[in-house]
Amino acid sequence: MKTILTVDDSPSIRQMLAYVLSSNGYHVIEAGDGEEGLLLAKEHQADLILTDQNMPKMDGIALIKALRGLPAYRHVPIMMLTTESSPALKQQGREAGATGWMVKPFDPEKLLEMLKKILP
Amino acid sequence: MSGPGNSENKRGENYPVRYFDRHFGIEAAKILPGEYFATDKNMVLVTVLGSCVTACLRDPRAGVGGMNHFMLPRSEQDPTNPISMSARYGTFAMEILINQLQKMGARRENMEAKVFGGGNVLRGFTANSIGEANANFVTEYLHNERIKIVAEDLLGVHPRKLYFFPATGRVLVKKIKELHNHTIVERESEYNLRLRNVVVGGDVEIFK
Repeated sequence: MKTILTVDDSPSIRQMLAYVLSSNGYHVIEAGDGEEGLLLAKEHQADLILTDQNMPKMDGIALIKALRGLPAYRHVPIMMLTTESSPALKQQGREAGATGWMVKPFDPEKLLEMLKKILP
Repeated sequence: MSGPGNSENKRGENYPVRYFDRHFGIEAAKILPGEYFATDKNMVLVTVLGSCVTACLRDPRAGVGGMNHFMLPRSEQDPTNPISMSARYGTFAMEILINQLQKMGARRENMEAKVFGGGNVLRGFTANSIGEANANFVTEYLHNERIKIVAEDLLGVHPRKLYFFPATGRVLVKKIKELHNHTIVERESEYNLRLRNVVVGGDVEIFK
């Protein structure tokens, strides 16, 4: 079973993601901000990470930069899932090492389709 | 929410409608269905609600506040489905406002909410009132997000005109009791119609 780490400060979003992912056979771990996400990523090897951008303590792009510095996460897919869609921010995400960018609100079908494409 | 949104620090858009309110002697912004607005200025945010709901959110410590104005696309959908189109749309309408406030310095744990609307103004096709579904959604969402609701005026049969002062958190509510308030019903019906075709799903891009 593949493990997906979701990082979002909104409990509603985390619950929705957990519902979609776990009912489709994924094991889900949840973090409420970038710092917690980094901590959990070190404790449990995730197969994929879905992260929000705007969060307290550490935002999504900072989290991606930190994760890409860890050997265990150099090649793990990390998707941004955010309300943000500006090309400038996307570019920053890409440079930080994001695998891709999903704009909220998320469509469950599109999310699952995307996971099948990028999960090793 | 594919409709327009706005905030103080977005550039050059023409909405929401801004004007000087002579009665209050400060700048005012009119928030229409599907819009949101956040500010750190002393101004008044004005909106008229029938079946739609508004969350007036504010972080008193950071001195920023804002409001949205929305309704759920389909009230007849299964309310227990956590990822229904309605749930995802409503969640998004709340999150863009919260995000904007956070970007302006607000912290989630300091936020307080006042919620209004959800009147039985727009009739649905089922026994459940559209307004009631909207009112339930906004209160449950805020509860789930652990954002404290410090005041509420929901449901009932009358449309409401709202004046929110983000600098102080004060809200004035005027119940509109005229029988023939076509503008509100027309505007909300039009919004409701627009929502029937709305795609609740953003773009997905995988970087090469």
